[in-house]
Amino acid sequence: MSNTKTIREIHDAFDAGTTSPLALTQAYYSKIDHSKHNAFITLCKERALKQAEQLTQDLKSKHGGKVPRGTHPLYGIPLGIKDVLTMDGVRTTAASKMLDNYVAPYTATSVQKLEAAGAISLGKLNMDEFAMGSSNENSAYGNVLHPTHPDRVPGGSSGGSGTAVAADLCVAALGTDTGGSIRLPASFCGIVGMKPTYGRISRYGQIAFASSLDQIGPMTKSVEDAALLTQVMSGVDMYDSTTADQPVEDWVKVVRDTAANPSPRGMRIGVPKEYFIDGIDSEVRQAIECTIEKLKAQGAEIVPVSLPHTAYAVATYYVVAVSEASSNLSRYDGVRFGVRPKAAMEAGSPAEFYKKVRANFGAEVKRRIILGTFALSSGYYDAYYRKAGQVRRLMRNDFEAAFKNVDVIVSPVAPTTAFKIGEKAKNPLQMYLTDIFTIPASMAGLPAMSVPVAKDHQGLSIGMHLIAPRFKESVLLKAATIVEGISS
Amino acid sequence: MIEVNEALIRKVAELSRLELNEQEIQEYVKSIGDILKHVDQLSQVNTDGIEPMVYGVDDTLRLRPDEVIEFGTDEHGKPKVLSSAPEVMNDGYKVPQIIG
Repeated sequence: MSNTKTIREIHDAFDAGTTSPLALTQAYYSKIDHSKHNAFITLCKERALKQAEQLTQDLKSKHGGKVPRGTHPLYGIPLGIKDVLTMDGVRTTAASKMLDNYVAPYTATSVQKLEAAGAISLGKLNMDEFAMGSSNENSAYGNVLHPTHPDRVPGGSSGGSGTAVAADLCVAALGTDTGGSIRLPASFCGIVGMKPTYGRISRYGQIAFASSLDQIGPMTKSVEDAALLTQVMSGVDMYDSTTADQPVEDWVKVVRDTAANPSPRGMRIGVPKEYFIDGIDSEVRQAIECTIEKLKAQGAEIVPVSLPHTAYAVATYYVVAVSEASSNLSRYDGVRFGVRPKAAMEAGSPAEFYKKVRANFGAEVKRRIILGTFALSSGYYDAYYRKAGQVRRLMRNDFEAAFKNVDVIVSPVAPTTAFKIGEKAKNPLQMYLTDIFTIPASMAGLPAMSVPVAKDHQGLSIGMHLIAPRFKESVLLKAATIVEGISS
Repeated sequence: MIEVNEALIRKVAELSRLELNEQEIQEYVKSIGDILKHVDQLSQVNTDGIEPMVYGVDDTLRLRPDEVIEFGTDEHGKPKVLSSAPEVMNDGYKVPQIIG
């Protein structure tokens, strides 16, 4: 099967009877079993095959052999789920030894909605521990290999999702994005990645990293598939009070209408000068500038904009995100869930008990807990946490000012293409700087995407980053469809 | 600018309930020192009168009715929420004795 098959094409194949949900699911498991990418941590074969069998039977007996696209837009579509999202009865580790034995007693709203729409969950995808990382080298279950260049990283933290989709180990996947964790691996792996507006998709059942930033989103082979998954998952959820009461539009229609007449005429596209700095790989810069030229040639209005606080993005993020993380990760106390090591049972005090339990955190997670605890500690709170919150507000104000004059902003996703395994592992600050262009949209809660536009001379993918105003997914997807069309 | 030294890392590790070995302490002195040096550039930004942005949403968070929603039981009739606990006793979490 071709590795570019989209959901629409698969549904056509189901209709034609050339494959079935069960045959497709079995084919994916066979590919996963033979894959050396280490993309999955846990497979849920029994659960998935049972579901696939039922869907295959129902397709004939209840639906007359035609996919019920209206009621079940993801009918029989095998997906990969990042292992930071819970599924009832399935092991959920967040790629941490801390949760090595954790079997979730409930299903994340996002996954529940996808499954209610007919999707089949093949298993849980590898990632950086607790979604903290940009290369997938921080997983307690080993790093994920890049889909085409095994000496390179797939990006992180949704690295398993990036590789699984690009290597066609599933039709599409869920990732989560706190500072770029969907968009960076999408760019490195050459697929589409979408982080919807903060509040679009319920975070219920998402193991928390930084709650004011965390957002679930799709990683797919096409913009249309990203639109479909986002559409299915969006909406108010009583279990997440930050979900937004905003209309969920027919984004698939937006994509199809745009693809039928892909003109950027009348679209005002902002190009922020602060995103084209020294240090960007020349091929990345060239690819993005070339795409911008094509958009201009087809009638888009290219508008220079300024986002003056971009240079402070990484500094701001590594105060805000780690502060929230240090608070969120205080729940790993060995009492209610997770691994309780033998040494903890011999502890002489509660403090010692907790320390023995928390020895299961990996090095990067401990680094971030220490940083966050420091930023929130007495005497430093104002200088770090409060200050970062103020700069975050200024970053958001930058976007609001820019969006007065443009519909969408474009930039590179990252300064480079996929780097080599181990290249940045010893230098956390260098690793953090990988996220310089993705962090600002996260800080402002904006919807943003990565769409593959080119490959460098080594065949490594380059993604264009698109950012839209809050809850303007329709504008974002329209622009992404045009960029996808230009680049194919 | 804060000086990141062993004493600071030990103190914050204690607050975080993390046990670090000597090698880890040295590594964190260096890496956290580098990161905070980078973070120090925030002091160049004029933030007078700027309200910190703390949440991801502007709206007041919705409240829901204060009603009990049953989480359910497992196949043994035990509360499902306890199914992932390391140790359970009488439908509660069991922890080592900490008071003599």
